Amino acid sequence: MPRFNIRPYIFIAPALIYLAIWIFYPILNAFVLSFFDSPTGRSRDYFWVGLGNYTKLLQDDLFLKSLYHNILWVLLSIAIPVVLGLLLAVVLSGRGRTRLVYASIYFIPQTVAAVCAAIVWRWIYDPSIGPLNHLLEAIGLTGRPWLADESIVLIAVNMIGSWSYYGFCVLIFMAGLQNISPELYDAAKIDGAGALQRFLYVTIPLLRNAITFVLVYTIIGSMKFFDLIFVATNGGPNEASTVVGLRIYWHSMREGRFNYAATMSTILTVVILALSVVVIRQIVTEEGD
Amino acid sequence: MNIKAQPRKRRSYQSSRIIQSIIIHAILLLFVFIALFPIYLMFNAALKTSAELFQSFLSLPKDPQWKNFSFILNEQGYKGALYNSMILSTSSMILTTVISVLAGYGFAVYRFVGKQWLFLLVLTGLMVSETSVLIPVYQLLQDLGLLNTYAGMILPQAALGLTFGVFLMTTFFKDIPHALIDAAVVDGGSDLQVLRHVIMPLARPAIMSLALIEFMWAWNSFFFPLVIATKQWLMPMSVRIIDFMGRFTFKYDMIATTTVILFTPILILYLITQRSFHRGITFGALKD
Repeated sequence: MPRFNIRPYIFIAPALIYLAIWIFYPILNAFVLSFFDSPTGRSRDYFWVGLGNYTKLLQDDLFLKSLYHNILWVLLSIAIPVVLGLLLAVVLSGRGRTRLVYASIYFIPQTVAAVCAAIVWRWIYDPSIGPLNHLLEAIGLTGRPWLADESIVLIAVNMIGSWSYYGFCVLIFMAGLQNISPELYDAAKIDGAGALQRFLYVTIPLLRNAITFVLVYTIIGSMKFFDLIFVATNGGPNEASTVVGLRIYWHSMREGRFNYAATMSTILTVVILALSVVVIRQIVTEEGD
Repeated sequence: MNIKAQPRKRRSYQSSRIIQSIIIHAILLLFVFIALFPIYLMFNAALKTSAELFQSFLSLPKDPQWKNFSFILNEQGYKGALYNSMILSTSSMILTTVISVLAGYGFAVYRFVGKQWLFLLVLTGLMVSETSVLIPVYQLLQDLGLLNTYAGMILPQAALGLTFGVFLMTTFFKDIPHALIDAAVVDGGSDLQVLRHVIMPLARPAIMSLALIEFMWAWNSFFFPLVIATKQWLMPMSVRIIDFMGRFTFKYDMIATTTVILFTPILILYLITQRSFHRGITFGALKD
Protein backbone atom coordinates (compact mmCIF):
# COMPACT_ATOMS: atom_id res chain seq x y z
CA MET A 1 0.00 0.00 0.00
CA PRO A 2 1.55 3.29 -1.07
CA ARG A 3 1.54 5.67 1.84
CA PHE A 4 1.63 9.33 0.98
CA ASN A 5 2.15 11.86 3.71
CA ILE A 6 4.44 14.29 5.47
CA ARG A 7 6.43 11.68 7.38
CA PRO A 8 9.16 10.88 4.83
CA TYR A 9 10.00 14.57 4.66
CA ILE A 10 10.47 14.63 8.42
CA PHE A 11 12.93 11.75 8.16
CA ILE A 12 15.03 13.26 5.40
CA ALA A 13 14.81 16.82 6.73
CA PRO A 14 17.79 16.60 9.13
CA ALA A 15 20.08 15.40 6.34
CA LEU A 16 18.88 18.04 3.87
CA ILE A 17 19.12 20.88 6.38
CA TYR A 18 22.55 19.74 7.50
CA LEU A 19 23.85 19.50 3.95
CA ALA A 20 22.22 22.84 3.10
CA ILE A 21 24.12 24.58 5.89
CA TRP A 22 27.53 22.96 5.47
CA ILE A 23 27.69 22.01 1.78
CA PHE A 24 25.13 23.66 -0.51
CA TYR A 25 25.10 27.13 1.04
CA PRO A 26 28.94 27.27 1.08
CA ILE A 27 29.11 26.22 -2.59
CA LEU A 28 26.70 28.98 -3.60
CA ASN A 29 28.33 31.47 -1.27
CA ALA A 30 31.77 30.77 -2.76
CA PHE A 31 30.25 31.41 -6.19
CA VAL A 32 28.80 34.76 -5.02
CA LEU A 33 32.05 35.75 -3.27
CA SER A 34 33.96 35.19 -6.51
CA PHE A 35 32.31 38.30 -8.04
CA PHE A 36 33.41 40.57 -5.21
CA ASP A 37 36.64 41.84 -3.72
CA SER A 38 37.54 43.55 -0.47
CA PRO A 39 39.78 46.59 0.11
CA THR A 40 42.09 44.83 2.57
CA GLY A 41 42.75 41.22 3.49
CA ARG A 42 40.18 39.58 5.77
CA SER A 43 37.81 42.58 5.61
CA ARG A 44 34.23 41.99 4.58
CA ASP A 45 33.50 45.36 2.95
CA TYR A 46 32.90 43.69 -0.34
CA PHE A 47 32.59 45.59 -3.59
CA TRP A 48 31.47 44.23 -6.95
CA VAL A 49 34.22 43.41 -9.44
CA GLY A 50 32.23 41.32 -11.90
CA LEU A 51 34.52 38.84 -13.61
CA GLY A 52 37.60 40.65 -12.31
CA ASN A 53 38.76 37.73 -10.17
CA TYR A 54 38.35 35.32 -13.06
CA THR A 55 40.42 37.44 -15.47
CA LYS A 56 43.08 37.78 -12.78
CA LEU A 57 43.09 34.01 -12.30
CA LEU A 58 43.59 33.36 -15.98
CA GLN A 59 46.76 35.45 -15.81
CA ASP A 60 47.93 33.84 -12.58
CA ASP A 61 50.68 31.50 -13.79
CA LEU A 62 50.94 29.80 -10.43
CA PHE A 63 47.23 28.95 -10.43
CA LEU A 64 47.34 27.62 -13.98
CA LYS A 65 50.38 25.57 -13.07
CA SER A 66 48.60 24.16 -10.03
CA LEU A 67 45.52 23.25 -12.10
CA TYR A 68 47.80 21.54 -14.61
CA HIS A 69 49.39 19.56 -11.78
CA ASN A 70 45.94 18.43 -10.61
CA ILE A 71 45.06 17.20 -14.10
CA LEU A 72 48.44 15.44 -14.31
CA TRP A 73 47.66 13.87 -10.93
CA VAL A 74 44.36 12.51 -12.27
CA LEU A 75 46.19 10.89 -15.21
CA LEU A 76 48.97 9.47 -13.03
CA SER A 77 46.44 8.07 -10.57
CA ILE A 78 44.54 6.34 -13.36
CA ALA A 79 47.73 5.09 -15.04
CA ILE A 80 49.27 3.62 -11.89
CA PRO A 81 46.99 2.61 -8.98
CA VAL A 82 43.76 2.16 -10.93
CA VAL A 83 45.28 0.04 -13.70
CA LEU A 84 47.35 -1.88 -11.17
CA GLY A 85 44.27 -2.44 -9.01
CA LEU A 86 42.35 -3.79 -11.98
CA LEU A 87 45.13 -6.21 -12.98
CA LEU A 88 45.65 -7.46 -9.43
CA ALA A 89 41.91 -7.93 -8.98
CA VAL A 90 41.73 -10.01 -12.18
CA VAL A 91 44.69 -12.14 -11.07
CA LEU A 92 43.12 -12.62 -7.64
CA SER A 93 39.63 -13.36 -8.90
CA GLY A 94 40.47 -16.95 -9.78
CA ARG A 95 41.55 -17.74 -6.24
CA GLY A 96 39.49 -18.93 -3.33
CA ARG A 97 39.87 -17.63 0.17
CA THR A 98 43.44 -16.40 -0.25
CA ARG A 99 42.23 -13.52 -2.41
CA LEU A 100 40.52 -12.00 0.63
CA VAL A 101 43.76 -12.19 2.59
CA TYR A 102 45.67 -10.45 -0.20
CA ALA A 103 42.97 -7.78 -0.64
CA SER A 104 42.91 -7.10 3.10
CA ILE A 105 46.65 -6.55 3.17
CA TYR A 106 46.65 -4.37 0.04
CA PHE A 107 44.00 -2.20 1.68
CA ILE A 108 46.04 -1.47 4.84
CA PRO A 109 47.89 1.58 3.38
CA GLN A 110 44.49 3.14 2.68
CA THR A 111 43.85 3.25 6.44
CA VAL A 112 47.05 5.23 7.02
CA ALA A 113 46.24 8.95 7.29
CA ALA A 114 47.61 10.92 4.32
CA VAL A 115 49.57 12.97 6.85
CA CYS A 116 51.26 9.86 8.24
CA ALA A 117 51.96 8.47 4.78
CA ALA A 118 53.58 11.75 3.76
CA ILE A 119 55.76 11.80 6.87
CA VAL A 120 56.93 8.21 6.49
CA TRP A 121 57.67 8.61 2.79
CA ARG A 122 59.52 11.88 3.35
CA TRP A 123 61.91 9.85 5.41
CA ILE A 124 62.04 7.00 2.89
CA TYR A 125 62.83 9.53 0.15
CA ASP A 126 65.39 11.48 2.22
CA PRO A 127 68.47 11.82 -0.01
CA SER A 128 71.08 11.34 2.72
CA ILE A 129 69.58 9.03 5.35
CA GLY A 130 66.50 7.65 3.60
CA PRO A 131 66.08 3.91 3.02
CA LEU A 132 65.25 4.23 -0.69
CA ASN A 133 68.59 5.71 -1.76
CA HIS A 134 70.42 3.28 0.52
CA LEU A 135 68.68 0.36 -1.18
CA LEU A 136 69.36 1.76 -4.64
CA GLU A 137 73.01 2.29 -3.85
CA ALA A 138 73.28 -1.21 -2.42
CA ILE A 139 72.30 -2.64 -5.81
CA GLY A 140 74.63 -0.30 -7.68
CA LEU A 141 72.23 2.44 -8.73
CA THR A 142 72.54 6.09 -7.80
CA GLY A 143 69.97 7.69 -5.55
CA ARG A 144 68.25 10.98 -6.22
CA PRO A 145 66.88 13.81 -4.09
CA TRP A 146 63.35 12.61 -4.91
CA LEU A 147 61.36 15.41 -3.33
CA ALA A 148 63.86 18.18 -4.11
CA ASP A 149 64.16 17.56 -7.84
CA GLU A 150 61.68 19.68 -9.81
CA SER A 151 61.49 17.23 -12.69
CA ILE A 152 60.41 14.21 -10.65
CA VAL A 153 58.82 15.57 -7.49
CA LEU A 154 55.23 15.25 -8.72
CA ILE A 155 55.74 11.62 -9.73
CA ALA A 156 57.53 10.89 -6.46
CA VAL A 157 54.61 12.28 -4.45
CA ASN A 158 52.12 10.47 -6.68
CA MET A 159 53.91 7.23 -5.75
CA ILE A 160 52.91 7.91 -2.14
CA GLY A 161 49.31 8.42 -3.25
CA SER A 162 49.45 5.28 -5.41
CA TRP A 163 50.84 3.30 -2.51
CA SER A 164 47.82 4.10 -0.41
CA TYR A 165 45.27 3.86 -3.25
CA TYR A 166 45.91 0.64 -5.20
CA GLY A 167 44.45 -1.57 -2.48
CA PHE A 168 41.23 0.41 -2.56
CA CYS A 169 41.00 -0.19 -6.33
CA VAL A 170 41.68 -3.92 -5.91
CA LEU A 171 38.82 -4.15 -3.44
CA ILE A 172 36.29 -2.37 -5.67
CA PHE A 173 37.24 -4.31 -8.82
CA MET A 174 37.26 -7.61 -6.95
CA ALA A 175 33.73 -6.96 -5.73
CA GLY A 176 32.72 -6.10 -9.30
CA LEU A 177 34.31 -9.28 -10.67
CA GLN A 178 32.35 -11.42 -8.24
CA ASN A 179 29.20 -10.48 -10.14
CA ILE A 180 30.50 -11.85 -13.44
CA SER A 181 29.33 -15.39 -14.02
CA PRO A 182 32.16 -17.88 -14.79
CA GLU A 183 30.01 -19.35 -17.57
CA LEU A 184 30.69 -16.24 -19.65
CA TYR A 185 34.40 -17.01 -19.54
CA ASP A 186 33.79 -20.62 -20.45
CA ALA A 187 31.67 -19.54 -23.40
CA ALA A 188 34.38 -17.15 -24.54
CA LYS A 189 37.00 -19.91 -24.19
CA ILE A 190 34.94 -22.28 -26.33
CA ASP A 191 34.70 -19.53 -28.95
CA GLY A 192 38.50 -19.49 -28.96
CA ALA A 193 39.11 -16.24 -27.09
CA GLY A 194 42.58 -15.92 -25.54
CA ALA A 195 43.26 -14.49 -22.09
CA LEU A 196 43.73 -10.96 -23.42
CA GLN A 197 40.57 -11.12 -25.50
CA ARG A 198 38.59 -12.45 -22.54
CA PHE A 199 39.90 -9.54 -20.47
CA LEU A 200 39.02 -6.93 -23.12
CA TYR A 201 35.66 -8.28 -24.27
CA VAL A 202 34.25 -9.98 -21.18
CA THR A 203 35.85 -8.49 -18.08
CA ILE A 204 36.05 -4.82 -19.02
CA PRO A 205 32.49 -4.38 -20.34
CA LEU A 206 30.98 -6.22 -17.39
CA LEU A 207 32.99 -4.19 -14.91
CA ARG A 208 31.51 -1.00 -16.31
CA ASN A 209 29.85 0.06 -13.05
CA ALA A 210 32.95 -0.53 -10.97
CA ILE A 211 35.16 1.24 -13.52
CA THR A 212 32.86 4.28 -13.64
CA PHE A 213 32.81 4.43 -9.88
CA VAL A 214 36.59 4.20 -9.54
CA LEU A 215 37.25 6.75 -12.31
CA VAL A 216 34.85 9.32 -10.87
CA TYR A 217 36.16 8.72 -7.36
CA THR A 218 39.75 9.10 -8.61
CA ILE A 219 38.97 12.34 -10.44
CA ILE A 220 37.25 13.87 -7.42
CA GLY A 221 40.02 12.73 -5.08
CA SER A 222 42.77 13.99 -7.40
CA MET A 223 41.24 17.41 -7.92
CA LYS A 224 40.64 18.15 -4.27
CA PHE A 225 43.60 16.52 -2.52
CA PHE A 226 45.60 18.58 -0.07
CA ASP A 227 46.93 16.72 3.01
CA LEU A 228 49.49 14.58 1.23
CA ILE A 229 51.14 17.33 -0.77
CA PHE A 230 50.95 19.85 2.09
CA VAL A 231 53.00 17.61 4.34
CA ALA A 232 55.24 15.95 1.74
CA THR A 233 56.49 19.04 -0.13
CA ASN A 234 54.15 22.00 0.58
CA GLY A 235 54.20 22.57 -3.20
CA GLY A 236 57.96 22.78 -3.51
CA PRO A 237 60.62 22.83 -4.74
CA ASN A 238 60.02 26.09 -6.59
CA GLU A 239 56.27 25.31 -6.79
CA ALA A 240 56.99 22.25 -8.93
CA SER A 241 54.39 20.25 -7.01
CA THR A 242 51.85 22.90 -6.11
CA VAL A 243 48.14 22.05 -6.52
CA VAL A 244 44.90 24.04 -6.43
CA GLY A 245 44.14 23.01 -2.85
CA LEU A 246 47.43 24.52 -1.69
CA ARG A 247 46.75 27.76 -3.60
CA ILE A 248 43.31 28.07 -1.98
CA TYR A 249 44.78 27.48 1.48
CA TRP A 250 47.61 29.92 0.84
CA HIS A 251 45.50 32.79 -0.51
CA SER A 252 42.76 32.46 2.10
CA MET A 253 44.43 31.44 5.34
CA ARG A 254 47.83 33.06 4.85
CA GLU A 255 47.06 36.16 2.77
CA GLY A 256 43.42 36.70 3.74
CA ARG A 257 42.36 37.13 0.11
CA PHE A 258 39.09 35.27 0.61
CA ASN A 259 37.42 36.40 -2.60
CA TYR A 260 40.32 35.34 -4.78
CA ALA A 261 40.48 31.96 -3.03
CA ALA A 262 36.70 31.55 -3.35
CA THR A 263 37.08 32.07 -7.11
CA MET A 264 39.54 29.18 -7.20
CA SER A 265 37.12 27.06 -5.18
CA THR A 266 34.37 27.78 -7.67
CA ILE A 267 36.55 26.81 -10.62
CA LEU A 268 37.56 23.63 -8.79
CA THR A 269 33.91 22.70 -8.21
CA VAL A 270 33.07 23.31 -11.87
CA VAL A 271 36.04 21.27 -13.11
CA ILE A 272 35.18 18.34 -10.82
CA LEU A 273 31.54 18.39 -11.94
CA ALA A 274 32.47 18.68 -15.63
CA LEU A 275 35.03 15.85 -15.54
CA SER A 276 32.70 13.56 -13.60
CA VAL A 277 29.82 14.21 -15.99
CA VAL A 278 32.06 13.53 -19.00
CA VAL A 279 33.19 10.18 -17.58
CA ILE A 280 29.69 9.12 -16.54
CA ARG A 281 28.13 10.10 -19.88
CA GLN A 282 30.90 8.50 -21.90
CA ILE A 283 30.43 5.19 -20.16
CA VAL A 284 26.64 5.36 -20.11
CA THR A 285 26.43 6.07 -23.86
CA GLU A 286 28.81 3.22 -24.62
CA GLU A 287 26.48 0.97 -22.70
CA GLY A 288 23.63 2.05 -24.97
CA ASP A 289 25.41 0.82 -28.09
CA MET B 1 53.89 -42.27 -31.46
CA ASN B 2 50.94 -40.45 -30.18
CA ILE B 3 50.67 -42.52 -27.09
CA LYS B 4 54.32 -41.93 -26.30
CA ALA B 5 54.16 -38.20 -26.90
CA GLN B 6 51.14 -37.69 -24.71
CA PRO B 7 52.76 -37.92 -21.25
CA ARG B 8 55.64 -35.68 -22.22
CA LYS B 9 53.27 -33.07 -23.51
CA ARG B 10 51.26 -33.20 -20.32
CA ARG B 11 54.38 -32.89 -18.23
CA SER B 12 55.54 -29.76 -20.04
CA TYR B 13 52.03 -28.36 -19.77
CA GLN B 14 52.12 -28.99 -16.03
CA SER B 15 55.53 -27.46 -15.54
CA SER B 16 54.55 -24.35 -17.48
CA ARG B 17 51.52 -24.10 -15.21
CA ILE B 18 53.77 -24.36 -12.20
CA ILE B 19 56.04 -21.63 -13.54
CA GLN B 20 53.01 -19.46 -14.26
CA SER B 21 51.70 -20.00 -10.76
CA ILE B 22 55.10 -19.14 -9.26
CA ILE B 23 55.24 -15.90 -11.23
CA ILE B 24 51.72 -14.94 -10.17
CA HIS B 25 52.48 -15.64 -6.53
CA ALA B 26 55.70 -13.66 -6.78
CA ILE B 27 53.78 -10.67 -8.13
CA LEU B 28 51.06 -10.94 -5.49
CA LEU B 29 53.69 -11.19 -2.74
CA LEU B 30 55.66 -8.28 -4.19
CA PHE B 31 52.62 -6.07 -3.64
CA VAL B 32 52.18 -7.42 -0.13
CA PHE B 33 55.76 -6.32 0.46
CA ILE B 34 55.12 -2.88 -1.09
CA ALA B 35 52.03 -2.38 1.07
CA LEU B 36 53.67 -3.41 4.33
CA PHE B 37 57.30 -2.35 4.04
CA PRO B 38 56.76 1.39 4.73
CA ILE B 39 54.59 0.43 7.69
CA TYR B 40 57.33 -1.87 9.00
CA LEU B 41 59.80 0.99 8.62
CA MET B 42 57.47 3.31 10.51
CA PHE B 43 57.09 0.97 13.50
CA ASN B 44 60.76 0.08 13.39
CA ALA B 45 61.88 3.72 13.41
CA ALA B 46 59.54 4.51 16.27
CA LEU B 47 61.24 1.95 18.49
CA LYS B 48 64.85 2.84 17.73
CA THR B 49 67.14 5.55 18.95
CA SER B 50 68.30 8.10 16.38
CA ALA B 51 71.81 6.64 16.46
CA GLU B 52 70.62 3.09 15.85
CA LEU B 53 68.35 4.30 13.08
CA PHE B 54 71.29 5.88 11.30
CA GLN B 55 73.25 2.64 11.41
CA SER B 56 70.51 0.50 9.94
CA PHE B 57 66.87 1.09 9.23
CA LEU B 58 66.12 -2.53 8.29
CA SER B 59 67.20 -4.49 11.34
CA LEU B 60 64.83 -4.95 14.25
CA PRO B 61 65.50 -2.63 17.19
CA LYS B 62 68.02 -4.15 19.62
CA ASP B 63 66.61 -2.32 22.58
CA PRO B 64 63.05 -1.18 21.80
CA GLN B 65 62.60 2.39 22.97
CA TRP B 66 59.10 2.10 24.47
CA LYS B 67 59.85 5.26 26.38
CA ASN B 68 59.55 7.18 23.08
CA PHE B 69 55.81 6.76 23.42
CA SER B 70 55.54 8.07 26.95
CA PHE B 71 57.91 10.90 26.02
CA ILE B 72 55.59 11.99 23.20
CA LEU B 73 52.33 11.42 25.04
CA ASN B 74 53.23 12.78 28.45
CA GLU B 75 56.21 15.09 28.24
CA GLN B 76 55.34 16.56 24.83
CA GLY B 77 51.65 16.74 25.74
CA TYR B 78 50.34 14.66 22.87
CA LYS B 79 47.92 12.91 25.20
CA GLY B 80 45.62 15.91 24.82
CA ALA B 81 45.81 15.66 21.04
CA LEU B 82 44.82 12.00 21.23
CA TYR B 83 41.85 12.96 23.40
CA ASN B 84 40.84 15.66 20.88
CA SER B 85 41.02 13.15 18.04
CA MET B 86 38.78 10.82 20.02
CA ILE B 87 36.18 13.56 20.61
CA LEU B 88 36.26 14.72 17.00
CA SER B 89 35.96 11.22 15.51
CA THR B 90 33.36 9.84 17.92
CA SER B 91 31.11 12.88 17.71
CA SER B 92 31.16 13.26 13.96
CA MET B 93 30.69 9.48 13.58
CA ILE B 94 27.57 9.53 15.77
CA LEU B 95 26.17 12.66 14.11
CA THR B 96 26.65 11.34 10.57
CA THR B 97 25.37 7.86 11.35
CA VAL B 98 22.17 9.00 13.09
CA ILE B 99 21.24 11.52 10.39
CA SER B 100 22.08 9.01 7.63
CA VAL B 101 19.95 6.25 9.19
CA LEU B 102 16.95 8.60 9.44
CA ALA B 103 17.33 9.85 5.86
CA GLY B 104 17.96 6.32 4.59
CA TYR B 105 14.69 5.23 6.17
CA GLY B 106 12.80 8.12 4.55
CA PHE B 107 14.27 7.47 1.11
CA ALA B 108 14.07 3.68 1.16
CA VAL B 109 10.65 3.05 2.70
CA TYR B 110 8.45 5.86 1.41
CA ARG B 111 7.31 7.10 -1.95
CA PHE B 112 6.91 10.85 -2.08
CA VAL B 113 6.85 13.82 -4.38
CA GLY B 114 10.32 15.02 -5.40
CA LYS B 115 12.07 11.91 -4.06
CA GLN B 116 14.30 11.40 -7.11
CA TRP B 117 15.35 15.02 -7.20
CA LEU B 118 16.05 15.24 -3.50
CA PHE B 119 18.13 12.06 -3.63
CA LEU B 120 20.09 13.41 -6.59
CA LEU B 121 20.63 16.65 -4.68
CA VAL B 122 22.10 14.69 -1.78
CA LEU B 123 24.34 12.75 -4.18
CA THR B 124 25.86 15.92 -5.66
CA GLY B 125 27.39 16.39 -2.23
CA LEU B 126 29.79 13.54 -3.14
CA MET B 127 31.55 15.84 -5.56
CA VAL B 128 32.14 18.59 -3.03
CA SER B 129 35.50 18.85 -1.34
CA GLU B 130 36.80 20.66 1.72
CA THR B 131 38.78 22.99 -0.50
CA SER B 132 35.65 23.97 -2.44
CA VAL B 133 33.74 25.07 0.64
CA LEU B 134 36.61 26.27 2.84
CA ILE B 135 36.01 30.03 2.75
CA PRO B 136 32.24 30.12 3.36
CA VAL B 137 32.53 27.43 6.04
CA TYR B 138 35.33 29.37 7.73
CA GLN B 139 33.33 32.62 7.66
CA LEU B 140 30.20 30.87 8.90
CA LEU B 141 32.11 29.42 11.85
CA GLN B 142 33.60 32.83 12.52
CA ASP B 143 30.13 34.45 12.57
CA LEU B 144 28.83 31.75 14.91
CA GLY B 145 31.86 32.16 17.15
CA LEU B 146 32.82 28.52 16.61
CA LEU B 147 36.41 28.87 15.42
CA ASN B 148 38.70 27.07 17.85
CA THR B 149 35.92 25.08 19.48
CA TYR B 150 35.09 21.37 19.42
CA ALA B 151 31.71 22.11 17.80
CA GLY B 152 33.44 24.08 15.07
CA MET B 153 35.63 21.11 14.22
CA ILE B 154 32.89 18.49 14.45
CA LEU B 155 29.97 20.10 12.57
CA PRO B 156 31.57 20.57 9.12
CA GLN B 157 33.50 17.29 9.43
CA ALA B 158 30.25 15.38 9.88
CA ALA B 159 28.83 17.03 6.76
CA LEU B 160 31.67 15.71 4.59
CA GLY B 161 30.71 12.08 5.18
CA LEU B 162 26.97 12.61 5.22
CA THR B 163 26.32 12.16 1.51
CA PHE B 164 28.12 8.82 1.54
CA GLY B 165 26.15 7.85 4.65
CA VAL B 166 22.72 8.67 3.20
CA PHE B 167 23.60 6.83 -0.01
CA LEU B 168 24.84 3.74 1.85
CA MET B 169 21.88 3.57 4.23
CA THR B 170 19.30 4.10 1.47
CA THR B 171 20.71 1.33 -0.73
CA PHE B 172 20.96 -1.09 2.19
CA PHE B 173 17.48 -0.37 3.55
CA LYS B 174 15.99 -0.84 0.08
CA ASP B 175 17.17 -4.45 0.17
CA ILE B 176 15.04 -5.19 3.22
CA PRO B 177 11.88 -7.00 2.09
CA HIS B 178 8.98 -4.58 2.06
CA ALA B 179 6.62 -7.24 3.34
CA LEU B 180 8.39 -7.17 6.71
CA ILE B 181 7.87 -3.43 7.03
CA ASP B 182 4.24 -3.59 5.89
CA ALA B 183 3.54 -6.35 8.39
CA ALA B 184 4.91 -4.22 11.20
CA VAL B 185 2.81 -1.24 10.06
CA VAL B 186 -0.34 -3.34 9.90
CA ASP B 187 0.37 -4.43 13.46
CA GLY B 188 0.18 -0.78 14.40
CA GLY B 189 3.90 -0.02 14.57
CA SER B 190 4.95 3.60 14.32
CA ASP B 191 7.83 4.71 12.09
CA LEU B 192 10.29 4.71 14.94
CA GLN B 193 9.17 1.24 16.03
CA VAL B 194 9.61 -0.07 12.48
CA LEU B 195 13.03 1.53 12.35
CA ARG B 196 14.07 0.13 15.71
CA HIS B 197 12.57 -3.35 15.56
CA VAL B 198 12.60 -4.20 11.84
CA ILE B 199 15.22 -2.13 10.04
CA MET B 200 17.94 -1.73 12.65
CA PRO B 201 18.38 -5.42 13.50
CA LEU B 202 18.51 -6.39 9.81
CA ALA B 203 20.77 -3.53 8.78
CA ARG B 204 23.09 -3.68 11.76
CA PRO B 205 26.12 -4.78 9.67
CA ALA B 206 25.56 -1.88 7.25
CA ILE B 207 25.22 0.65 10.04
CA MET B 208 28.35 -0.78 11.62
CA SER B 209 30.23 -0.38 8.32
CA LEU B 210 29.13 3.22 8.00
CA ALA B 211 30.09 4.07 11.57
CA LEU B 212 33.56 2.54 11.19
CA ILE B 213 34.31 4.29 7.92
CA GLU B 214 33.10 7.65 9.23
CA PHE B 215 35.24 7.17 12.33
CA MET B 216 38.31 6.47 10.23
CA TRP B 217 37.71 9.46 7.96
CA ALA B 218 37.32 11.83 10.89
CA TRP B 219 40.32 10.35 12.71
CA ASN B 220 42.53 10.81 9.65
CA SER B 221 41.02 14.17 8.67
CA PHE B 222 43.41 17.05 8.38
CA PHE B 223 42.28 20.02 6.31
CA PHE B 224 39.34 21.36 8.35
CA PRO B 225 41.01 20.78 11.74
CA LEU B 226 44.15 22.51 10.44
CA VAL B 227 42.17 25.61 9.55
CA ILE B 228 39.62 25.58 12.37
CA ALA B 229 41.71 24.47 15.37
CA THR B 230 44.69 26.80 15.46
CA LYS B 231 45.09 26.64 19.25
CA GLN B 232 47.37 23.86 20.38
CA TRP B 233 45.08 22.60 23.17
CA LEU B 234 42.37 21.88 20.59
CA MET B 235 44.41 20.30 17.81
CA PRO B 236 43.70 16.65 17.04
CA MET B 237 46.60 14.24 16.63
CA SER B 238 46.62 14.54 12.83
CA VAL B 239 47.34 18.27 13.06
CA ARG B 240 49.66 18.21 16.08
CA ILE B 241 51.98 15.91 14.11
CA ILE B 242 52.89 18.77 11.78
CA ASP B 243 53.85 20.90 14.70
CA PHE B 244 56.40 18.24 15.61
CA MET B 245 57.99 18.13 12.19
CA GLY B 246 59.31 21.66 12.31
CA ARG B 247 60.89 21.27 15.72
CA PHE B 248 62.55 17.89 15.19
CA THR B 249 63.36 17.90 11.50
CA PHE B 250 65.96 15.19 11.75
CA LYS B 251 64.65 13.34 14.76
CA TYR B 252 62.96 10.70 12.67
CA ASP B 253 62.55 8.41 15.66
CA MET B 254 60.32 11.00 17.37
CA ILE B 255 58.37 11.77 14.20
CA ALA B 256 57.90 8.05 13.56
CA THR B 257 56.62 7.59 17.11
CA THR B 258 53.89 10.20 16.60
CA THR B 259 52.81 8.63 13.31
CA VAL B 260 52.61 5.24 15.01
CA ILE B 261 50.43 6.74 17.75
CA LEU B 262 48.08 8.20 15.13
CA PHE B 263 47.99 5.05 12.98
CA THR B 264 47.79 2.21 15.51
CA PRO B 265 44.18 2.73 16.73
CA ILE B 266 42.90 2.68 13.14
CA LEU B 267 45.06 -0.33 12.23
CA ILE B 268 43.67 -2.32 15.17
CA LEU B 269 40.12 -1.26 14.34
CA TYR B 270 40.62 -2.29 10.72
CA LEU B 271 42.18 -5.65 11.54
CA ILE B 272 39.28 -6.52 13.86
CA THR B 273 36.52 -5.36 11.55
CA GLN B 274 37.92 -5.78 8.01
CA ARG B 275 34.72 -7.27 6.67
CA SER B 276 32.67 -4.30 7.80
CA PHE B 277 35.11 -1.92 6.16
CA HIS B 278 35.12 -3.88 2.92
CA ARG B 279 31.34 -4.20 2.82
CA GLY B 280 30.82 -0.46 3.26
CA ILE B 281 33.45 0.54 0.74
CA THR B 282 32.54 -1.89 -2.04
CA PHE B 283 28.82 -1.27 -1.84
CA GLY B 284 28.94 1.99 -3.76
CA ALA B 285 30.59 0.33 -6.74
CA LEU B 286 28.17 -2.55 -6.98
CA LYS B 287 24.79 -0.90 -6.63
CA ASP B 288 23.73 2.20 -8.44
